[in-house]
Amino acid sequence: MANARLLVKRLKSVRNIRKITRTMELIATSRFKKAMDRATEAAEYTKKISEIVGDLGKANLKFSHPLLQERTETKKSVLLVLTSNRGLCGGYNGAVLRNTLRHIRQLNQDGVDYSMEVSGKRGIKFLNFQKIAMEESYTHFEDSPTFAQVDEIGSRYVEDYIAGRIDRLDVAYTSFQTISRQTAVIETLLPLSSLSEGSTEEVASGSGLGPDYEFHPSAEEILAEIVPAAFRAKLFKCFLDAAVSEQIARMVAMKGATENADEMAGSLKQQYNRARQAGITSELAEIIGGAAALE
Amino acid sequence: MADLRLVLVTPEKTLFDRPVASIRVPMFDGSAGIYPGRAPLVGRLGIGELRLLGNDGVNESYFIEGGFIQIKGEQVSVLTGAAIDAAKISRKSAAEELEKATAEKASSDEEAAIQARKLERARKLVKMATVD
Repeated sequence: MANARLLVKRLKSVRNIRKITRTMELIATSRFKKAMDRATEAAEYTKKISEIVGDLGKANLKFSHPLLQERTETKKSVLLVLTSNRGLCGGYNGAVLRNTLRHIRQLNQDGVDYSMEVSGKRGIKFLNFQKIAMEESYTHFEDSPTFAQVDEIGSRYVEDYIAGRIDRLDVAYTSFQTISRQTAVIETLLPLSSLSEGSTEEVASGSGLGPDYEFHPSAEEILAEIVPAAFRAKLFKCFLDAAVSEQIARMVAMKGATENADEMAGSLKQQYNRARQAGITSELAEIIGGAAALE
Repeated sequence: MADLRLVLVTPEKTLFDRPVASIRVPMFDGSAGIYPGRAPLVGRLGIGELRLLGNDGVNESYFIEGGFIQIKGEQVSVLTGAAIDAAKISRKSAAEELEKATAEKASSDEEAAIQARKLERARKLVKMATVD
Protein backbone atom coordinates (compact mmCIF):
# COMPACT_ATOMS: atom_id res chain seq x y z
CA MET A 1 0.00 0.00 0.00
CA ALA A 2 2.94 2.33 0.62
CA ASN A 3 3.57 2.24 -3.08
CA ALA A 4 0.04 3.42 -3.85
CA ARG A 5 0.33 6.30 -1.40
CA LEU A 6 3.59 7.43 -3.00
CA LEU A 7 1.91 7.35 -6.38
CA VAL A 8 -0.95 9.48 -5.12
CA LYS A 9 1.52 12.06 -3.88
CA ARG A 10 3.36 12.19 -7.19
CA LEU A 11 0.10 12.37 -9.10
CA LYS A 12 -0.94 15.35 -7.06
CA SER A 13 2.30 17.21 -7.64
CA VAL A 14 2.20 16.49 -11.37
CA ARG A 15 -1.31 17.88 -11.52
CA ASN A 16 -0.26 20.98 -9.63
CA ILE A 17 2.61 21.59 -12.01
CA ARG A 18 0.26 21.12 -14.91
CA LYS A 19 -1.96 23.85 -13.52
CA ILE A 20 1.01 26.19 -13.38
CA THR A 21 2.29 25.43 -16.86
CA ARG A 22 -1.19 25.71 -18.33
CA THR A 23 -1.68 29.11 -16.73
CA MET A 24 1.71 30.28 -17.94
CA GLU A 25 0.80 29.16 -21.42
CA LEU A 26 -2.39 31.21 -21.34
CA ILE A 27 -0.60 34.26 -19.98
CA ALA A 28 2.11 33.96 -22.63
CA THR A 29 -0.58 33.72 -25.30
CA SER A 30 -2.26 36.92 -24.24
CA ARG A 31 1.07 38.73 -23.86
CA PHE A 32 2.13 37.49 -27.26
CA LYS A 33 -0.97 38.99 -28.83
CA LYS A 34 -0.25 42.33 -27.20
CA ALA A 35 3.40 42.28 -28.22
CA MET A 36 2.42 41.28 -31.74
CA ASP A 37 -0.01 44.20 -32.03
CA ARG A 38 2.72 46.58 -30.93
CA ALA A 39 5.14 45.15 -33.44
CA THR A 40 2.63 45.55 -36.27
CA GLU A 41 1.91 49.12 -35.28
CA ALA A 42 5.60 49.88 -35.17
CA ALA A 43 6.09 48.42 -38.64
CA GLU A 44 4.07 51.32 -40.03
CA TYR A 45 6.74 53.80 -38.94
CA THR A 46 9.54 51.81 -40.55
CA LYS A 47 7.50 51.56 -43.72
CA LYS A 48 6.99 55.30 -43.88
CA ILE A 49 10.67 55.96 -43.24
CA SER A 50 11.59 53.70 -46.15
CA GLU A 51 9.03 55.51 -48.26
CA ILE A 52 10.60 58.88 -47.55
CA VAL A 53 14.05 57.46 -48.18
CA GLY A 54 12.71 56.26 -51.51
CA ASP A 55 11.42 59.74 -52.26
CA LEU A 56 14.82 61.18 -51.41
CA GLY A 57 16.36 58.66 -53.78
CA LYS A 58 14.37 60.20 -56.60
CA ALA A 59 16.12 63.48 -56.00
CA ASN A 60 19.31 62.01 -57.48
CA LEU A 61 20.96 62.18 -54.15
CA LYS A 62 24.08 60.34 -53.20
CA PHE A 63 23.47 58.43 -50.03
CA SER A 64 26.25 59.37 -47.74
CA HIS A 65 26.08 59.78 -44.02
CA PRO A 66 28.51 59.00 -41.20
CA LEU A 67 26.24 56.17 -40.04
CA LEU A 68 26.30 54.55 -43.47
CA GLN A 69 30.04 54.62 -43.89
CA GLU A 70 31.90 51.44 -43.26
CA ARG A 71 35.13 51.85 -41.34
CA THR A 72 38.23 50.52 -43.00
CA GLU A 73 39.42 49.08 -39.72
CA THR A 74 37.24 47.84 -36.93
CA LYS A 75 38.95 48.59 -33.67
CA LYS A 76 36.16 48.81 -31.20
CA SER A 77 32.88 47.02 -31.51
CA VAL A 78 29.86 46.83 -29.28
CA LEU A 79 27.74 43.74 -28.92
CA LEU A 80 24.25 44.24 -27.58
CA VAL A 81 22.59 41.03 -26.40
CA LEU A 82 18.85 40.90 -25.92
CA THR A 83 17.62 38.16 -23.62
CA SER A 84 14.61 37.78 -21.38
CA ASN A 85 14.27 38.65 -17.73
CA ARG A 86 12.45 35.45 -16.94
CA GLY A 87 13.16 31.85 -17.75
CA LEU A 88 10.89 28.95 -18.64
CA CYS A 89 10.84 29.83 -22.28
CA GLY A 90 12.50 26.84 -23.85
CA GLY A 91 15.57 27.42 -25.97
CA TYR A 92 14.97 31.14 -26.37
CA ASN A 93 17.83 32.45 -24.24
CA GLY A 94 20.07 29.50 -24.97
CA ALA A 95 20.05 30.11 -28.70
CA VAL A 96 20.86 33.81 -28.36
CA LEU A 97 23.65 33.17 -25.86
CA ARG A 98 25.17 30.39 -27.96
CA ASN A 99 25.38 32.81 -30.85
CA THR A 100 26.87 35.41 -28.55
CA LEU A 101 29.64 33.10 -27.38
CA ARG A 102 30.49 32.18 -30.94
CA HIS A 103 30.62 35.83 -31.87
CA ILE A 104 32.87 36.65 -28.93
CA ARG A 105 35.25 33.88 -29.96
CA GLN A 106 35.33 35.29 -33.47
CA LEU A 107 36.04 38.79 -32.15
CA ASN A 108 38.85 37.46 -29.97
CA GLN A 109 40.34 35.69 -32.98
CA ASP A 110 40.22 38.85 -35.06
CA GLY A 111 41.74 40.81 -32.22
CA VAL A 112 38.89 43.29 -32.08
CA ASP A 113 38.34 45.15 -28.86
CA TYR A 114 34.74 44.74 -27.84
CA SER A 115 32.38 45.72 -25.10
CA MET A 116 29.27 43.84 -24.11
CA GLU A 117 25.92 45.30 -23.30
CA VAL A 118 23.28 42.92 -22.11
CA SER A 119 19.58 43.28 -21.57
CA GLY A 120 17.71 40.70 -19.52
CA LYS A 121 18.53 38.92 -16.28
CA ARG A 122 19.02 35.57 -17.99
CA GLY A 123 21.80 36.85 -20.20
CA ILE A 124 23.44 38.73 -17.35
CA LYS A 125 23.51 35.61 -15.15
CA PHE A 126 24.91 33.49 -17.94
CA LEU A 127 27.71 35.90 -18.82
CA ASN A 128 28.59 36.38 -15.17
CA PHE A 129 28.94 32.63 -14.93
CA GLN A 130 31.15 32.60 -18.02
CA LYS A 131 33.18 35.41 -16.48
CA ILE A 132 32.66 37.69 -19.44
CA ALA A 133 32.81 41.34 -18.49
CA MET A 134 29.81 43.49 -19.31
CA GLU A 135 29.96 47.21 -19.85
CA GLU A 136 26.27 47.83 -19.33
CA SER A 137 23.36 45.72 -18.28
CA TYR A 138 19.69 46.50 -18.47
CA THR A 139 16.83 44.74 -16.78
CA HIS A 140 14.12 47.31 -17.31
CA PHE A 141 13.03 46.09 -20.73
CA GLU A 142 9.95 44.04 -20.06
CA ASP A 143 7.44 42.61 -22.51
CA SER A 144 6.67 45.99 -23.97
CA PRO A 145 9.76 48.16 -24.39
CA THR A 146 8.84 51.79 -25.08
CA PHE A 147 10.48 53.80 -27.79
CA ALA A 148 11.76 56.34 -25.30
CA GLN A 149 13.66 53.63 -23.40
CA VAL A 150 15.23 52.23 -26.53
CA ASP A 151 15.93 55.68 -27.89
CA GLU A 152 18.08 56.48 -24.89
CA ILE A 153 20.44 53.66 -25.79
CA GLY A 154 20.11 54.32 -29.52
CA SER A 155 21.09 57.98 -29.21
CA ARG A 156 24.20 57.02 -27.31
CA TYR A 157 25.25 54.60 -30.05
CA VAL A 158 24.67 57.20 -32.73
CA GLU A 159 26.80 59.72 -30.86
CA ASP A 160 29.55 57.21 -30.16
CA TYR A 161 29.62 56.03 -33.74
CA ILE A 162 29.80 59.48 -35.24
CA ALA A 163 32.47 60.50 -32.77
CA GLY A 164 34.46 57.39 -33.74
CA ARG A 165 34.39 55.84 -30.29
CA ILE A 166 32.86 52.69 -31.73
CA ASP A 167 33.34 51.22 -35.17
CA ARG A 168 30.64 48.62 -35.19
CA LEU A 169 27.45 47.70 -33.40
CA ASP A 170 26.07 44.17 -33.45
CA VAL A 171 22.86 43.07 -31.88
CA ALA A 172 22.27 39.47 -30.85
CA TYR A 173 18.56 38.85 -30.60
CA THR A 174 15.80 36.56 -31.77
CA SER A 175 14.30 37.81 -34.97
CA PHE A 176 10.67 37.18 -35.63
CA GLN A 177 9.87 35.82 -39.06
CA THR A 178 6.52 34.16 -38.72
CA ILE A 179 4.52 32.90 -35.78
CA SER A 180 6.02 29.45 -36.19
CA ARG A 181 9.52 30.62 -37.03
CA GLN A 182 11.92 32.72 -35.00
CA THR A 183 15.66 32.48 -35.26
CA ALA A 184 18.42 33.77 -33.06
CA VAL A 185 20.58 36.06 -35.17
CA ILE A 186 23.42 38.54 -34.87
CA GLU A 187 22.79 41.59 -36.95
CA THR A 188 25.15 44.44 -37.65
CA LEU A 189 23.21 47.65 -37.13
CA LEU A 190 26.10 50.09 -37.43
CA PRO A 191 27.29 50.84 -40.03
CA LEU A 192 23.78 50.76 -41.41
CA SER A 193 23.72 48.51 -44.43
CA SER A 194 20.55 49.81 -45.98
CA LEU A 195 18.02 52.40 -45.05
CA SER A 196 14.93 50.78 -46.41
CA GLU A 197 13.73 47.21 -46.53
CA GLY A 198 14.76 46.97 -50.16
CA SER A 199 18.21 48.06 -51.25
CA THR A 200 18.85 51.71 -51.94
CA GLU A 201 19.71 51.13 -55.59
CA GLU A 202 16.38 49.56 -56.14
CA VAL A 203 14.66 52.56 -54.68
CA ALA A 204 16.80 54.97 -56.64
CA SER A 205 16.06 53.24 -59.92
CA GLY A 206 12.40 54.08 -59.50
CA SER A 207 13.08 57.71 -60.36
CA GLY A 208 10.76 59.44 -62.75
CA LEU A 209 7.76 57.76 -61.18
CA GLY A 210 5.57 59.34 -58.57
CA PRO A 211 5.14 62.99 -57.70
CA ASP A 212 7.85 65.57 -58.03
CA TYR A 213 8.65 66.48 -54.45
CA GLU A 214 9.53 69.76 -52.99
CA PHE A 215 12.16 69.33 -50.27
CA HIS A 216 12.14 71.54 -47.30
CA PRO A 217 14.96 72.03 -46.33
CA SER A 218 17.21 70.42 -48.96
CA ALA A 219 17.17 66.69 -49.57
CA GLU A 220 20.67 66.40 -48.09
CA GLU A 221 19.58 67.92 -44.81
CA ILE A 222 16.57 65.67 -44.58
CA LEU A 223 18.79 62.70 -45.24
CA ALA A 224 21.10 63.76 -42.43
CA GLU A 225 18.12 63.62 -40.08
CA ILE A 226 16.44 60.55 -41.43
CA VAL A 227 19.44 58.22 -41.20
CA PRO A 228 19.59 58.33 -37.39
CA ALA A 229 15.80 58.02 -37.30
CA ALA A 230 15.98 54.92 -39.47
CA PHE A 231 18.65 53.47 -37.20
CA ARG A 232 16.57 54.10 -34.09
CA ALA A 233 13.53 52.54 -35.69
CA LYS A 234 15.61 49.51 -36.59
CA LEU A 235 16.99 49.17 -33.08
CA PHE A 236 13.49 49.51 -31.68
CA LYS A 237 12.33 46.77 -34.02
CA CYS A 238 15.03 44.47 -32.60
CA PHE A 239 13.64 44.98 -29.11
CA LEU A 240 10.07 44.42 -30.26
CA ASP A 241 11.05 41.30 -32.18
CA ALA A 242 12.83 39.95 -29.13
CA ALA A 243 9.77 40.59 -26.97
CA VAL A 244 7.42 38.86 -29.39
CA SER A 245 9.76 35.91 -29.85
CA GLU A 246 10.13 35.50 -26.09
CA GLN A 247 6.39 35.17 -25.63
CA ILE A 248 6.11 32.69 -28.48
CA ALA A 249 8.99 30.64 -27.10
CA ARG A 250 7.36 30.59 -23.68
CA MET A 251 4.00 29.68 -25.15
CA VAL A 252 5.47 26.74 -27.04
CA ALA A 253 7.57 25.56 -24.09
CA MET A 254 4.63 25.70 -21.70
CA LYS A 255 2.35 23.94 -24.16
CA GLY A 256 4.88 21.12 -24.35
CA ALA A 257 5.17 21.01 -20.57
CA THR A 258 1.39 20.85 -20.16
CA GLU A 259 1.14 17.99 -22.62
CA ASN A 260 3.93 16.15 -20.84
CA ALA A 261 2.20 16.62 -17.51
CA ASP A 262 -1.03 15.24 -18.97
CA GLU A 263 0.75 12.18 -20.23
CA MET A 264 2.56 11.67 -16.95
CA ALA A 265 -0.60 12.09 -14.90
CA GLY A 266 -2.29 9.46 -17.11
CA SER A 267 0.43 6.87 -16.64
CA LEU A 268 0.67 7.59 -12.90
CA LYS A 269 -3.07 7.17 -12.53
CA GLN A 270 -2.86 3.84 -14.31
CA GLN A 271 0.01 2.70 -12.11
CA TYR A 272 -1.90 3.78 -9.03
CA ASN A 273 -5.01 1.87 -10.09
CA ARG A 274 -2.96 -1.25 -10.70
CA ALA A 275 -1.26 -0.95 -7.33
CA ARG A 276 -4.60 -0.44 -5.60
CA GLN A 277 -6.14 -3.44 -7.37
CA ALA A 278 -3.12 -5.54 -6.50
CA GLY A 279 -3.55 -4.52 -2.85
CA ILE A 280 -7.22 -5.51 -2.86
CA THR A 281 -6.48 -8.83 -4.55
CA SER A 282 -3.78 -9.74 -2.10
CA GLU A 283 -6.00 -8.78 0.86
CA LEU A 284 -8.79 -10.96 -0.52
CA ALA A 285 -6.37 -13.82 -1.03
CA GLU A 286 -5.24 -13.47 2.58
CA ILE A 287 -8.84 -13.57 3.90
CA ILE A 288 -9.71 -16.55 1.74
CA GLY A 289 -6.48 -18.24 2.74
CA GLY A 290 -7.21 -17.55 6.41
CA ALA A 291 -10.77 -18.92 6.14
CA ALA A 292 -9.53 -22.00 4.33
CA ALA A 293 -7.01 -22.65 7.10
CA LEU A 294 -9.79 -22.59 9.74
CA GLU A 295 -11.83 -25.30 8.06
CA MET B 1 -8.37 66.25 -55.11
CA ALA B 2 -10.36 68.07 -52.57
CA ASP B 3 -9.61 65.67 -49.78
CA LEU B 4 -6.91 65.70 -47.20
CA ARG B 5 -5.97 62.78 -45.06
CA LEU B 6 -3.67 62.99 -42.08
CA VAL B 7 -1.69 59.99 -40.87
CA LEU B 8 0.23 60.62 -37.66
CA VAL B 9 2.76 57.86 -36.97
CA THR B 10 5.11 57.39 -34.04
CA PRO B 11 7.52 54.45 -33.69
CA GLU B 12 5.10 52.89 -31.25
CA LYS B 13 1.80 53.27 -33.03
CA THR B 14 -0.35 55.09 -35.52
CA LEU B 15 -2.07 57.77 -33.50
CA PHE B 16 -4.26 59.31 -36.10
CA ASP B 17 -5.54 58.27 -39.50
CA ARG B 18 -8.56 60.27 -40.63
CA PRO B 19 -9.63 62.71 -43.31
CA VAL B 20 -9.30 66.30 -42.14
CA ALA B 21 -10.10 69.77 -43.49
CA SER B 22 -6.77 71.46 -42.82
CA ILE B 23 -3.55 70.97 -40.89
CA ARG B 24 -0.94 73.22 -39.38
CA VAL B 25 2.44 71.68 -38.67
CA PRO B 26 5.56 73.00 -36.95
CA MET B 27 8.32 72.85 -39.55
CA PHE B 28 11.96 73.17 -38.50
CA ASP B 29 11.89 76.86 -39.35
CA GLY B 30 8.36 77.85 -38.52
CA SER B 31 4.77 76.94 -38.88
CA ALA B 32 3.28 75.68 -42.14
CA GLY B 33 -0.35 75.31 -43.13
CA ILE B 34 -1.66 72.59 -45.38
CA TYR B 35 -4.90 72.64 -47.30
CA PRO B 36 -6.22 70.12 -49.79
CA GLY B 37 -4.38 70.18 -53.08
CA ARG B 38 -0.97 70.99 -51.59
CA ALA B 39 1.98 70.21 -53.85
CA PRO B 40 4.02 67.11 -52.89
CA LEU B 41 6.51 67.84 -50.17
CA VAL B 42 9.05 66.09 -48.00
CA GLY B 43 10.16 68.14 -45.05
CA ARG B 44 11.70 68.17 -41.63
CA LEU B 45 9.62 69.02 -38.62
CA GLY B 46 10.49 70.92 -35.52
CA ILE B 47 9.14 70.79 -32.00
CA GLY B 48 5.72 72.24 -31.43
CA GLU B 49 2.05 72.04 -31.98
CA LEU B 50 0.38 70.12 -34.76
CA ARG B 51 -3.07 71.55 -35.19
CA LEU B 52 -5.76 70.12 -37.33
CA LEU B 53 -9.27 71.08 -38.26
CA GLY B 54 -11.46 68.04 -38.64
CA ASN B 55 -14.14 67.69 -41.29
CA ASP B 56 -16.66 68.19 -38.52
CA GLY B 57 -15.16 71.58 -37.72
CA VAL B 58 -13.55 70.49 -34.47
CA ASN B 59 -10.00 71.56 -33.72
CA GLU B 60 -7.56 69.05 -32.36
CA SER B 61 -3.95 69.50 -31.47
CA TYR B 62 -0.96 67.34 -30.68
CA PHE B 63 2.44 68.14 -29.32
CA ILE B 64 5.06 66.67 -31.62
CA GLU B 65 8.79 66.38 -31.29
CA GLY B 66 10.67 66.62 -34.55
CA GLY B 67 10.38 64.11 -37.33
CA PHE B 68 9.34 64.30 -40.93
CA ILE B 69 6.39 65.16 -43.07
CA GLN B 70 5.52 63.70 -46.41
CA ILE B 71 2.73 65.08 -48.55
CA LYS B 72 1.75 62.91 -51.46
CA GLY B 73 -1.49 63.65 -53.22
CA GLU B 74 -4.20 63.77 -50.62
CA GLN B 75 -2.23 61.92 -47.98
CA VAL B 76 -0.18 63.75 -45.41
CA SER B 77 2.07 61.52 -43.34
CA VAL B 78 3.64 62.91 -40.21
CA LEU B 79 6.39 60.80 -38.68
CA THR B 80 7.52 61.85 -35.28
CA GLY B 81 9.47 60.43 -32.37
CA ALA B 82 6.82 61.32 -29.85
CA ALA B 83 3.36 62.81 -30.05
CA ILE B 84 1.16 63.79 -27.14
CA ASP B 85 -2.49 64.73 -27.30
CA ALA B 86 -2.68 68.37 -26.21
CA ALA B 87 -5.60 67.58 -23.94
CA LYS B 88 -3.32 65.33 -21.91
CA ILE B 89 -0.47 67.72 -21.21
CA SER B 90 -0.58 68.80 -17.62
CA ARG B 91 0.57 72.25 -16.60
CA LYS B 92 2.29 70.95 -13.53
CA SER B 93 4.50 68.37 -15.20
CA ALA B 94 5.33 70.77 -18.03
CA ALA B 95 6.38 73.43 -15.54
CA GLU B 96 8.47 70.88 -13.71
CA GLU B 97 10.20 69.92 -16.91
CA LEU B 98 10.99 73.52 -17.71
CA GLU B 99 12.38 74.03 -14.24
CA LYS B 100 14.57 70.96 -14.58
CA ALA B 101 15.84 72.00 -18.01
CA THR B 102 16.60 75.49 -16.76
CA ALA B 103 18.46 74.20 -13.73
CA GLU B 104 20.80 72.06 -15.85
CA LYS B 105 24.28 73.37 -16.33
CA ALA B 106 25.96 72.73 -19.64
CA SER B 107 29.73 72.57 -19.67
CA SER B 108 30.34 71.85 -23.34
CA ASP B 109 28.90 72.85 -26.68
CA GLU B 110 27.13 69.54 -27.11
CA GLU B 111 25.59 69.73 -23.68
CA ALA B 112 24.49 73.28 -24.37
CA ALA B 113 22.80 72.11 -27.57
CA ILE B 114 21.01 69.34 -25.71
CA GLN B 115 19.93 71.77 -23.04
CA ALA B 116 18.66 74.24 -25.62
CA ARG B 117 16.61 71.47 -27.16
CA LYS B 118 15.19 70.46 -23.81
CA LEU B 119 14.37 74.07 -23.00
CA GLU B 120 12.59 74.53 -26.29
CA ARG B 121 10.60 71.39 -25.73
CA ALA B 122 9.66 72.37 -22.19
CA ARG B 123 8.64 75.91 -23.19
CA LYS B 124 6.43 74.64 -25.97
CA LEU B 125 4.92 72.12 -23.60
CA VAL B 126 4.14 74.80 -21.05
CA LYS B 127 2.56 76.91 -23.73
CA MET B 128 0.37 74.10 -24.89
CA ALA B 129 -0.62 72.71 -21.52
CA THR B 130 -4.34 72.82 -20.98
CA VAL B 131 -5.13 70.64 -17.99
CA ASP B 132 -3.89 70.99 -14.43
